[in-house]
Amino acid sequence: MSEEPARPAFAGENRTRSAKESAIKWFLFVCAALSVFVTLAIVATLLFDAIEFFTRVSPLAFFTGTNWSPKIGEAFGVLPLVTNTLAVTALSALVAIPVGTASAAYLSEYASDQVRSVLKPALEVLAGIPTVVYGLFALVYVTPALQAVGIPVGTFNLLSASIMVGVMIIPMVSSLSEDAMSAVPDSLRQGAYGLGATKFEVTTTVVVPAAVSGIFSSFILALSRAIGETMIVVVAAGMSPQLVPSPFGSIQPMTSAMVQLATSDLAGGTAAYYALFAIGLTLFVITFSMNVASNWVASRYREEYE
Amino acid sequence: MATERSTRDGSWYGDGEGVNQLRGQLFKWGCLGAMLFGIVMVFVLLAYVAIDAIRPLTADPGWHLTFFLTLVAPTSALLGYYGLRDRRSGLVGAIATALPAFCLLVGAGISLLLVDVFRPIEWFGTAVALVVAVGVVYVHRRLRTEPAAFERPIVTVGALVLAVVGVPGVVPSLSQLFRNAPIALNPATMLLYSFAVPVAILTGLAIARRRESRRDGLIAAALTVVGGVLAVIAAPAVGIDDYLLIVLSLSIAAPTAVYVEGVVRERDHLVGLALPIVAYVGTFLGAALVEAYGFAGPEAWLDWQFLTSAHSRFPQEAGIYPALVGSIMMMLVIVVSAFPVGVAAAVYLEEYAPDSGTVGRVVGLIEMNIANLAGVPSVVYGLLGLALFIRYADMNTGSVIVGGLTVGLLILPIVIISSQEAIRAVPNSMRQASYGMGATKWQTVRNVVLPESIPGILTGTILAFGRAIGETAPLLMIGAAAVVFSPPGSFAEKFSAMPRQIFAWSHEPSAEFRYGVLAAGVVTLLVVLLSMNAAAILIRNRYQRRS
Repeated sequence: MSEEPARPAFAGENRTRSAKESAIKWFLFVCAALSVFVTLAIVATLLFDAIEFFTRVSPLAFFTGTNWSPKIGEAFGVLPLVTNTLAVTALSALVAIPVGTASAAYLSEYASDQVRSVLKPALEVLAGIPTVVYGLFALVYVTPALQAVGIPVGTFNLLSASIMVGVMIIPMVSSLSEDAMSAVPDSLRQGAYGLGATKFEVTTTVVVPAAVSGIFSSFILALSRAIGETMIVVVAAGMSPQLVPSPFGSIQPMTSAMVQLATSDLAGGTAAYYALFAIGLTLFVITFSMNVASNWVASRYREEYE
Repeated sequence: MATERSTRDGSWYGDGEGVNQLRGQLFKWGCLGAMLFGIVMVFVLLAYVAIDAIRPLTADPGWHLTFFLTLVAPTSALLGYYGLRDRRSGLVGAIATALPAFCLLVGAGISLLLVDVFRPIEWFGTAVALVVAVGVVYVHRRLRTEPAAFERPIVTVGALVLAVVGVPGVVPSLSQLFRNAPIALNPATMLLYSFAVPVAILTGLAIARRRESRRDGLIAAALTVVGGVLAVIAAPAVGIDDYLLIVLSLSIAAPTAVYVEGVVRERDHLVGLALPIVAYVGTFLGAALVEAYGFAGPEAWLDWQFLTSAHSRFPQEAGIYPALVGSIMMMLVIVVSAFPVGVAAAVYLEEYAPDSGTVGRVVGLIEMNIANLAGVPSVVYGLLGLALFIRYADMNTGSVIVGGLTVGLLILPIVIISSQEAIRAVPNSMRQASYGMGATKWQTVRNVVLPESIPGILTGTILAFGRAIGETAPLLMIGAAAVVFSPPGSFAEKFSAMPRQIFAWSHEPSAEFRYGVLAAGVVTLLVVLLSMNAAAILIRNRYQRRS
């Protein structure tokens, strides 16, 4: 309580009260520090079990192996899972990044207050739908629809799962990018108008470049969400990892492989059980560093005005 | 920066071919189109799921016509009137219509707990024990006006622990004693005492405060108790167990009555009350007419049978009941664990944490850590739960408490961040005023900051709970059951939650499961989620008076 001004001792002031105050303060501090404990616990559990895994399977075989079949043949090459995760991320980015950025530009530069008050909550709905429901949408409605228009996709396929992952992360791109664009001071826009720019030119040559750090940080955050997304790919993308994935066929990203391992009756102590934690660690390191990178980009390249 | 580049290119805004209006228009409509793409796609998919779950086309044309005439046409006309003439009344009407439906959901949730988890006798025993504990604390405060250090917190915590938990193996808890005491009360009487009376007290207090009249409060409380007794009398006619009817009817009637009383008393957009009357009378009239003329309703997958039965191999008999109860119990664990810890952490970070010095640096680290935790994939939290609670703490695989704690950890960062925002919104002048009157930090937090920020905290927290109820991946990792045939009897038993059950159904290849049972499950989950979000928005709008 260092910043609190020194108070004179009042009649009600006594040692009990200050002891109580500091006890409360420490209790609240412990609650806040619990989040650090959670992080440490995640890192510790993942690390210990991953190390246990690497005593059985060499890291080289894990990170460079091209065959993933933990049940039959005990082959623990994580590469196919990684390429499949990248495929889902890239395809969903193709959906989410243009749509999200365009939505943000529309909301920030063009929409009237009334239109925004309708469209913004509607966009937020997209973020609130449980991912298992998105997975079912992909499996039950999107895949048959793709087949109906003549795209040769299988029952489980990369394409429809990625479309749904993309739709799910649109609000993440759009809301963070919109915040960045709205934060661009109006004087810049007025200046460009004064130089004879049209609204289109103001948006594309002034607002977007000025907000580019926020926009990029939203991309990174959204991609990290796509990498960690589990239920959509588990439900709709199938269970067969391919080193070179085809958009029309079944694949298996890292998250999906983890779910498959966890839901099949695993005996604790087998290499397959510890493989769960090795993939978990890989996933955690990737997403965590992307989140850190997103924060770093946002603060490092922020244009300071005024 | 933009001008620099333009000069470098040797062109200026508006140079060259002149201003191209088409390009700007195309860009604008392109942006709007892109935005609508995602929204429209999801809403179309939601419509598909709703149609698959309810199958409106299987109903008689007469059924549609009847409900159109009695319900849809009058309410649409009324809504059109509100939209054009009187938006505030429309809002009042919408709240008055939605409130009973929402309270019905809450009441149904409590009833499910009473049927499957806490028997009425346990509920009664706990309630009486709590009353005794509160009485002890109150008497202690009265007698010992100059307590020693930590005397009051020790007495308070001690009384509560003795009342509810006891000392395992040594001293049985008070609620245990009451449960085993030879009390010859039937469930309905027990709930009259332990549910109707607390609701009556709350209603009475609300009315007494608003009307500034003790007499009116007493009347309202008495009316509530009478309502409970009436529910017992009416139970045989309705065909629901009398103790459940007490819970259902009171949880609908009490909040609705308090809200309507407020509207009527302040003559605040009284026209709005026409909407609930038209809607509910229309519904009942339509139902009566359909019954009278024998029009068949839609053969919906989402029906009473679906909500009240367990999974079955036959799609027509499959239901979501055990998973529904499992989800509610899991939410209970989350509310008890993540909410207090999250709010306490937010209070520390906003009110206590220094900005500078060693502690300040640690706090900065904690804040950054919380932001990063919010981005950790849910499946990783599942691994954490698996290792922490099942392997090290040796709890049962897939039990309710493990599920609740794991998902609780998952939403903890969200709860903290949104609570921080709510606390930050409390104007500093209010804190200064409290300090100026000699209050300590904690007194300021307890009496000023928390009461002011609680609506904002609740809004953010309910949204986080909405996220929790749809989480599936952590449940898969901690081994929640794919299919259970009866609801868990205690918090240490294996359970299945709604999203887990939906995922299990997605493996069924037959079309009836795929387009029927699955759709019904999804709609059930979304209805629960939607009503939670609606509650959050309602709270936010209601308390947004200052900003």
